[in-house]
Amino acid sequence: MYLTDEEKSMLNGDHGEIKQRCMQFLVDYGEVAGAEHLIDLDGNVDLHPPYGNWLGDYDVSYEEVVELAEIGEKFKVPTFANKAVNPGMIVDGWEKIDLEPFTNPEFRMKQEEMMKPYMKMGMVPILSCNYYLVSSYTPTVGQHCAWVESSAIPWGNAVLGARTNFDGCFQTAYLGKVPAYDMHLDENRKATVLVEYMDELKTDMDYDLFGWAVGEMVGLEVPALIGVGKPTTSQLVKMNTSLNTGGQVRMYHVPGLTPEAPTLEAAFSGNYQRKIQLGRDDLRKIYDKMNYASNDQVDFVYLGCPHYNIEEILKVARLVDGKKLKATMWITTNPSSYKVAKDMGLIEIIEKAGGNVLSGTCPGILGKLPPSTVMATDAAKQNYYINGIYQDLHVWYGTTEDCVESAIKGVWQGEWK
Amino acid sequence: MNEERKIILKGEKVYPGRVEGQALVSKMPLMGWLNVDAEKGVITERNHPLKGISFKGKILVFPGPRGSGGFVSFGRSKFYGQNPAAFVYTKGNNLTIFAAMEAKVPAITNLDQDPTEVIETGDWVVVDADLGIVEITKK
Repeated sequence: MYLTDEEKSMLNGDHGEIKQRCMQFLVDYGEVAGAEHLIDLDGNVDLHPPYGNWLGDYDVSYEEVVELAEIGEKFKVPTFANKAVNPGMIVDGWEKIDLEPFTNPEFRMKQEEMMKPYMKMGMVPILSCNYYLVSSYTPTVGQHCAWVESSAIPWGNAVLGARTNFDGCFQTAYLGKVPAYDMHLDENRKATVLVEYMDELKTDMDYDLFGWAVGEMVGLEVPALIGVGKPTTSQLVKMNTSLNTGGQVRMYHVPGLTPEAPTLEAAFSGNYQRKIQLGRDDLRKIYDKMNYASNDQVDFVYLGCPHYNIEEILKVARLVDGKKLKATMWITTNPSSYKVAKDMGLIEIIEKAGGNVLSGTCPGILGKLPPSTVMATDAAKQNYYINGIYQDLHVWYGTTEDCVESAIKGVWQGEWK
Repeated sequence: MNEERKIILKGEKVYPGRVEGQALVSKMPLMGWLNVDAEKGVITERNHPLKGISFKGKILVFPGPRGSGGFVSFGRSKFYGQNPAAFVYTKGNNLTIFAAMEAKVPAITNLDQDPTEVIETGDWVVVDADLGIVEITKK
């Protein structure tokens, strides 16, 4: 792989041991990926703080980050925080629940402390999986980025037309560089498979199921989607999440909607290979796969994967206004929307009904749930992952309305419509 | 009867090295994060044909990754001594690269035949990533 003189000198250790190790990571990654050179990021980085356990021997320890922050080192490019991991952190709403150790004040104080060196280096504490909705700073078409998180990757590539692999981390933020590989190169961004939806996508759940069905069918291919209508922001977030969870769709085109596909021809640019048609029956199959409960006595309802936006919080607040919930209900959101929801009185309405709104995290990240045996959720992603750590958990899946109704009655209310 | 039937697949090196061992084959993509347990070296995904089967020391053969960046836990399993001996997969991305870099085991992709069709669980497999060759002795 070609390196500039400056990159070579970083690799030689002329800029300190930590920069050397970060450059060694990029060089090894680039060599393995077959990259010809490194790219200087002109977009931004999205990473999970505090850094942990992602890259083995290449990891930069927390103590080293503290050291760098102290001597005034900065991230090279605008850097945003996805959800905190290892450990997870409940930013808002933690006082209202009991979930050790996350609700222990001392534990929380330490977690807040751990964010400080990253912020000193320039990390913006959005602390959300849909940071791209609330960061107030997103890349423009063609800008090179390094992001993380399944829903964010297709959002960056397809919706914004920026260029990113799944490599947002301390190293890429600190050096502001990534290998010229995969989604950074024109030839890997063209559609190869045409996916046509033959019925009509109507509800938010339809988009969630559609994304999953397409993901399972195309894996790592780049699809061009037709027949998907005009999704709302909530629907588009759901579709992106499922595309990159049910499969590994990092990039897709919707002719006339996404920036790199003004037309169907432009989406393919001569790379067309095959066509898939799917309809409501295919969505039904995914719906059935997501419903793996036999006990209908719901004791935990989880909403907010990816983090609910303000319209979704408003929707739930209206559904529970004046009601009393029989089941525990968690809504997770980003800290920015939490504040707005609080100002609007929505948190109060939800809490009065017996629900909780938490920001900055989700059950999967915490690796912990409130005591429960039967869960209901409106998110295919969390539905499919949660069973990995709670093998005996019964999980229902349905629309937001079905889930909220189930929380009110304490009995599963969903059915395929 | 040819009992020592050998098949050779040619592919591209992802991570260098040469190793041999028994194959563990999945026709279903592998999913990371909560659906793999790095400490125990097993898949925990409820629908997965390999659920609960240890991949420690196996030549892990699969179509590709899906889902979260937590796919790297397949490499993280090295930290607990539970890692696969090699990765052989049809198509990957930087997540499969990171998993191989973390486990520091040979990895090969883009083979001339579908490895999940040619290789069966239990076959003896030599992975020579430097030469880009996978040699299979049928069980």
